[in-house]
Amino acid sequence: MFKKILIANRGEIALRVIRVCKQFGIKTVAVYSQADRDSLHVRFADEAVCIGPPPSKESYLKIPRIIAAAEITNADAIHPGYGFLAENASFAEICTSSGMKFIGPTPEMIRTMGDKALAKDTMKKAGVPVVPGSEGVVKSVGDAMEVGKAIGFPVIIKAVAGGGGRGMRVVREESEMEIAFKTAQHEAEQGFSNPDVYIEKYIESPRHVEIQVFGDQHGNVVHFGERDCSVQRRHQKLIEESPSPVVDEDLRTRMGDAAIKGCTAVNYENAGTIEFLVDKNKNFYFMEMNTRIQVEHPVTEQVTGHDLIKLQLRVAAGEKLPKRKIQPRGHAIECRINAEDPANGFRPSPGKITDFHMPGGFGVRVDTHAYAGYVVPPYYDSLIAKLVAYALTREGAIQKMAGALEEFTIEGIKTTVPFHLQVMHDERFRTANFDTSFLDTFEFRPESEHDARA
Amino acid sequence: MDLIYVKKLIKLLSESAVDEIEIEEEGKKIRVVKHGNTVLAGAPMLGQVPMMVQPPAGPVASIASPAMHAAQAEVPPTPPDTSKYHEIKSPIVGTFYRSPAPDAAPFVQIGTSIAPGTVLCIVEAMKLMNEIESDVTGKIVKVMVENGQPVEYDQTLFLVEAA
Repeated sequence: MFKKILIANRGEIALRVIRVCKQFGIKTVAVYSQADRDSLHVRFADEAVCIGPPPSKESYLKIPRIIAAAEITNADAIHPGYGFLAENASFAEICTSSGMKFIGPTPEMIRTMGDKALAKDTMKKAGVPVVPGSEGVVKSVGDAMEVGKAIGFPVIIKAVAGGGGRGMRVVREESEMEIAFKTAQHEAEQGFSNPDVYIEKYIESPRHVEIQVFGDQHGNVVHFGERDCSVQRRHQKLIEESPSPVVDEDLRTRMGDAAIKGCTAVNYENAGTIEFLVDKNKNFYFMEMNTRIQVEHPVTEQVTGHDLIKLQLRVAAGEKLPKRKIQPRGHAIECRINAEDPANGFRPSPGKITDFHMPGGFGVRVDTHAYAGYVVPPYYDSLIAKLVAYALTREGAIQKMAGALEEFTIEGIKTTVPFHLQVMHDERFRTANFDTSFLDTFEFRPESEHDARA
Repeated sequence: MDLIYVKKLIKLLSESAVDEIEIEEEGKKIRVVKHGNTVLAGAPMLGQVPMMVQPPAGPVASIASPAMHAAQAEVPPTPPDTSKYHEIKSPIVGTFYRSPAPDAAPFVQIGTSIAPGTVLCIVEAMKLMNEIESDVTGKIVKVMVENGQPVEYDQTLFLVEAA
């Protein structure tokens, strides 16, 4: 097992990793920007090295400084957390060539899955269902018609160089294709200076269901069940739960098998997540793979009883994955508490937390780096706490979460606590009758009595 | 003696009416001195404004090394008064070397005159020797770190009497 691990991250995940290291008796090194001098991960690590000024690209993304910090402290492994350099293949490579174990997959795996087209192709070859689509760029209206008919309408035309929902056109039938195709090309040219488009099957009202996978260095691959992350705002997850209310035993087996097939094909190592879109008819399609531990890993931990960060360290140190079958039990929900103002378009609300009280009790877990007096810096993402509620049933977990949210006191800044509370009371959420478009029509009511306390 | 211990001492001093504290144990000595009323009452280092953090003007510990290793070098007993000198800080993380090679003469000494561009030292990171240059004209007053010592971003390397 490693003697000293440097955590190349900050905030709650850095603290999470430090906690696991303490269980093994592994020494920890924190790196921090000048804005994080008073951060808890700095306080609770055994050693800390300042690596730069506040902006991420001058600190947490500065590979040479992080490697140098590992060198001068003699760390033998680096945990990249999530975000920042976690899926940077160069970083993984440099760690290895500098003599430190990168706690994650190999650079090749990161590269393969990081290229969306290559990832899809790799999965398809491995027999994993992917969103049916054109083989590359579609050049003409005629070709588009052919592709549309072959895939089956509705289809969506997407810009190759696109993003943010731009350069996309949904086509529901043949007669719409010509105009849609030309408009999409034009929009792509205007928006991204590249008129190239491709076509995919349009999945109506999809749910975002992902499978937690793990591979070890001995060729074993397992999955830990699914998480439903359909409650999203602008493609950012806000609430996650496990198990997914729409996944029955049969679908879980099929998705799990597909995920394992995909990972085995690339000899996957360490933690990963395969994201699928699930349509109304319970068909599932590969969307992408994340080659890192994810923010929402706690809900899987709660229902499976496995500490996934601990497992990451074990696998990285060469141990084999546990043999005993993973039996999910109960239901867990996670609410991401962000320093944002839900009454004002979720705009960021950095600043000093003047009062801080966390909920607790059986089945209530809080992963946070915040405390009374902590100043939330404006330079990084707005996640300040993850509130996880676990109970034997989904209804029980929702009830517990609502109670915990009512108790969670964070003053001095605005947070999404009141928003989450309203979602917990929302009929569509409570009856699990929602998909990724849920928040498009959800209206936050700023004048609720719970808000008065904030 | 480690950074967390030193930080706790500094905090202790800044929150109390005591002006100076000196501790000696196991052959290592540390002295922390408060310079006037330069510590903001009750405010954390960042205050409420998200700006570039300035190094604290309050209590100054006389151990320069922020990185911890079991065997620390001898600690100089005099606390440096940094307020009237220009500080040359490390722009990177790495290991500080005073000379271009182990048996060569140091780049600069106390009293050496320097100008913008004068190479002052090397900070080694990832097997690369980075030459750190002066950004001012003046004279070296103090060398703040030991040869071979690890340094972090923005750590003070030299005190310079600017011309």
